[in-house]
Amino acid sequence: MAGYKPVAIQTYPVLGEKITQDTLYWNNYKTPVQIKEFGAVSKVDFSSQPPYNYAVTASSRIHIYGRYSQEPIKTFSRFKDTAYCATFRQDGRLLVAGSEDGGVQLFDISGRFEGHTKAVHSVDFTADKYHVVSGMFDARTNQSVISVEHGQPVESVLLFPSGGLLVSAGGRYVKVWDMLKGGQLLVSLKNHHKTVTCLCLSSSGQRLLSGSLDRKVKVYSTTSYKVVHSFDYTASILSLALAHEDETIVVGMTNGILTKKDLVPRRRRPAYRTFIKGKNYMKQQDDILINRPSKKHLELYDRDLKNFRISKALDRVLEPTCSIKTPEVTVSIIKELNRRGVLANALAGRDEKEISRVLNFLIRNLSQPRFAPVLINAAEIIIDIYLPVIGQSPVVDKKFLVLQGLVEKEIDYQRELLETLGMMDMLFATMTRKESTSVLQHNTSDEFLENNKIES
Amino acid sequence: MAAGGGGVADPLSPAGVPCAFSPQSQAYFALASTDGHLRVWETANNRLHQEYVPSAHLSGTCTCLAWAPARLQAKEGPQRKKRKSEAIGTSNQADLLALGTAVGSILLYSTVKGELHSKLISGGHDNRVNCIQWHQDNGCLYSCSDDKHIVEWNTQTCKVKCKWKGDNSSVSSLCISPDGKMLLSAGRTIKLWVLETKEVYRHFTGHATPVSSLTFTTIRPPNESQPFDGITGLYFLSGAVHDRLLNVWQVRSENKEKNAVMSFTVTDEPVFIDLTLSENKEEPVKLAVVCKDGQVHLFEHILNGYCKKPLTSNCTIQIATPGKGKKSTPKPIPILAAGFCSDKMSLLLVYGNWFQPTIERVALNSKEPHMCLIRDISNCWAPKVETAITKVRTPVMNSEAKVLVPGIPGHHAAVRPAPPQTKEVESKRKLGEKEVSIEERLGALDIATKKEKDDLPQTNSFPVLLTQGLESNDFEILNKVLQTRNLNLIKRTVLRMPLHAVIPLLQELTKRLQGHPNSAILMVQWLKCVLTVHASYLSTLPDLVPQLGTLYQLMESRVKTFQKLSHLHGKLILLITQVTASEKTKETTCPAQKAKLVYEEGKDLGHAFLAYCFHQDNWDEDEDEKASEKDEDVDEENEEEEGDDEDKDEENGEDRDVASEKELNGDSDLDPENESEEE
Repeated sequence: MAGYKPVAIQTYPVLGEKITQDTLYWNNYKTPVQIKEFGAVSKVDFSSQPPYNYAVTASSRIHIYGRYSQEPIKTFSRFKDTAYCATFRQDGRLLVAGSEDGGVQLFDISGRFEGHTKAVHSVDFTADKYHVVSGMFDARTNQSVISVEHGQPVESVLLFPSGGLLVSAGGRYVKVWDMLKGGQLLVSLKNHHKTVTCLCLSSSGQRLLSGSLDRKVKVYSTTSYKVVHSFDYTASILSLALAHEDETIVVGMTNGILTKKDLVPRRRRPAYRTFIKGKNYMKQQDDILINRPSKKHLELYDRDLKNFRISKALDRVLEPTCSIKTPEVTVSIIKELNRRGVLANALAGRDEKEISRVLNFLIRNLSQPRFAPVLINAAEIIIDIYLPVIGQSPVVDKKFLVLQGLVEKEIDYQRELLETLGMMDMLFATMTRKESTSVLQHNTSDEFLENNKIES
Repeated sequence: MAAGGGGVADPLSPAGVPCAFSPQSQAYFALASTDGHLRVWETANNRLHQEYVPSAHLSGTCTCLAWAPARLQAKEGPQRKKRKSEAIGTSNQADLLALGTAVGSILLYSTVKGELHSKLISGGHDNRVNCIQWHQDNGCLYSCSDDKHIVEWNTQTCKVKCKWKGDNSSVSSLCISPDGKMLLSAGRTIKLWVLETKEVYRHFTGHATPVSSLTFTTIRPPNESQPFDGITGLYFLSGAVHDRLLNVWQVRSENKEKNAVMSFTVTDEPVFIDLTLSENKEEPVKLAVVCKDGQVHLFEHILNGYCKKPLTSNCTIQIATPGKGKKSTPKPIPILAAGFCSDKMSLLLVYGNWFQPTIERVALNSKEPHMCLIRDISNCWAPKVETAITKVRTPVMNSEAKVLVPGIPGHHAAVRPAPPQTKEVESKRKLGEKEVSIEERLGALDIATKKEKDDLPQTNSFPVLLTQGLESNDFEILNKVLQTRNLNLIKRTVLRMPLHAVIPLLQELTKRLQGHPNSAILMVQWLKCVLTVHASYLSTLPDLVPQLGTLYQLMESRVKTFQKLSHLHGKLILLITQVTASEKTKETTCPAQKAKLVYEEGKDLGHAFLAYCFHQDNWDEDEDEKASEKDEDVDEENEEEEGDDEDKDEENGEDRDVASEKELNGDSDLDPENESEEE
């Protein structure tokens, strides 16, 4: 007994927008939480130690926030003037911050004020605003080890964890320098149309993030240096930080708003077997695992088709829930009906409301090239069936008029495309002789076709 | 045109040119412009009431001004009566105006007399006076200055009553509590002083920049259960320089709460704030904020505790010139000040330029979130003749008297206003430029792009926008550029775009070509333009075929349906002509048919009946068809056949599609089919 084979739903990829691992990964954040600060947020820095608090520098204050609350845990407001660049030390116990008046202050995270000291590690790159040459200082020798020329005022500098690569942002450029080769310029990226203000590295070190005044954060792959994803924000971005394991993205903007996005926690349920046999169960050598055959579930339209209720099947896929969300299912069913030779029967015998639903679907999807061949057929069949009773319902007549307008536009558009194809053929023909021969054939056929059409 | 637009980029309209409405009825509007003139305008009929130039107006410009409260003047009335008889009958009129200057002196000007009443100098400030406040009841005057001190003056004796250090830096703003026992001052932090003992009662911190405005917003605490000691539970409002947020604070009994209770967002730095006090719990506070960008934002809020999110305005008012003809686009007119009328339902707007502001009363419509008033100010643009009267004295006003001043409507003098004292403007600017915030830098950027657009309308900036959009892959910018319908503009843009942006543009177009024909047809125009204009560049590319391969394939696959579509189109046209024709005939044929029947009836009844039957049969068949079609399993052979025929045709058609290379054959095949189907 041959089983019923469900209708294969063809999926058509949309050209241009590719869904990669990266887009999936970076889209996997919750809706942002906004926190209002007292001024433009110039720096956000995450502690590298649990509980992964982060310090936010805005105007003359530094707030320390926890991962989950929107209230500051701690506030440092001892600055006489604008504070800059509050950064955690590696162990997360000390906080260092520069200030407009030139001093560098060191805070104990438990709240005790330490007083003026020298910086313990080289954080305050951005403490003074205009480096034309960004300097790298060795903390032990206090001498400039290397200096590279960025070309624009440097807004932000980032050292790779290995210490071999340095990334600098300034103007509209992000530049990557090889430190081990003595400061050779490796890559220069220009993907923003306004000044790049901040840089950040993802936890794996595989992705580089840059924020810019053009309100975008772009994610680059550090192997290919291509943009793999980009985020949009509402205002110009001044600062950006990623939490441990990329769990949170915090972005500070010029309008004093701090935006925080949390990663949706990925939680896998334990398998069914775990519940039955326990967590530590291992398969014995002579055990044979028998998978129970999974039950096949037929879709409702498949069930209808199986029982030859063709009109009903078509009705089902023309329901707005299906026809709007997954037009490809509807189209596949129409195609299947056509293959069986019963499309006319399925389409026939409909009242005004139903036929206008079919026509609506046609109007919405006829212009899509992936559906066009099937739907044009369907349209012709509808016309043939309903020609005798045309003119009885003004609603349907109006739908036909809209359809006609659409088809007319599509024809105009395709005529334009044909002309453009001609142009491109010419271009390709001038390229090389080899390619030109093959392409010319296309050309002739196309032109022939066009001429024919015009004549007819 | 130039005059009308001049108000926008007027160098003389920096924020905070001191101005104020007279208290109580808002009958007058006092304005001290940067050229040192003090002008008092009548709000009712928009006339210049008085003009006064202080003797030291060049060395010490007016930095702030304040009207004396009306109650105080009523008290003072009899005193002045002894000296001058003309003051009778004007006791309820707003009179004294206190002016603070940049050198530290304070002038009291009497609008009734039209001359200087007294000077407060001795023992006062030795630096710029930042704010003056009158005490409501006892005739005292409080002033604060850049010299860090707050001074309490006795206006009767013109002597200093008390002087104390208010802050570690300059004190920028003052406000007296509704009951007159407390004083708010703002320097680096906001402080609340007890006036009797001059002790600090509370501290508030929160603004990064100097506070520019302070006002109490309520006169009663929100919860009336607790005994009211005159200050606890009151709300007040503060705005700061370079800050687009107005913070609301509450004076609490415990000293813990240090943050602002809530805040209002506006589009730019606030320059003028007016509000209606709420007297009870239910009545919302209405707030009108004039921003530096010339807009007015109206807020309406019941103050009841903490609110985390900044509140946005209920209503925004803008004023623009009417755009006449093609050349003049509407330009915004800056609003200078706004004040609530005493009925709380209408607003006095002062707009235009500082020399000749226009004052208008606008009724508030709380439902509309955005109001744009269109006003023509070009004809009342007032050139000020330099030899104009420097002091207009109108001691007693009767209704028939007409004041002739330059620039009232009807006087179209062609003289341009004299360039004002640039020296002072510069000095002011220098002050402002001490600390260039990022916002200002951004603002400067915006201005630069605006200018570019104005100089060369659009064509110049479109290529820039396009390349920017392509570089950062910004959807909005690209939409804006690519969705133009102007062919000429497209052509010029393509012509001027840099070569390196050509390939990204083609890739972007590839994405957009797959859409609805409505939008895609525009993209074809772009594509054609690119191909024609940059043909030579494209042909030099070594990897042209792989670059444009997807584009080519996409277009090719789309035009495959061209034949079928044309076919369908033909059918549709026929159908629609039938519909329209049948509609016409429906109206006309009904009587004609009747006539026919009647005609034949006379000849042969049976024949006519047959004809009638035939007619009905036809109709029945139709109905039968319908009925049968509604059933699931259709048995009618006719229909089956029809359907089969159709399917065969379609299969043929599909075959043709698959064998796309044999399109020639397909062509020849199709023609006979067409004929058969049309039969």
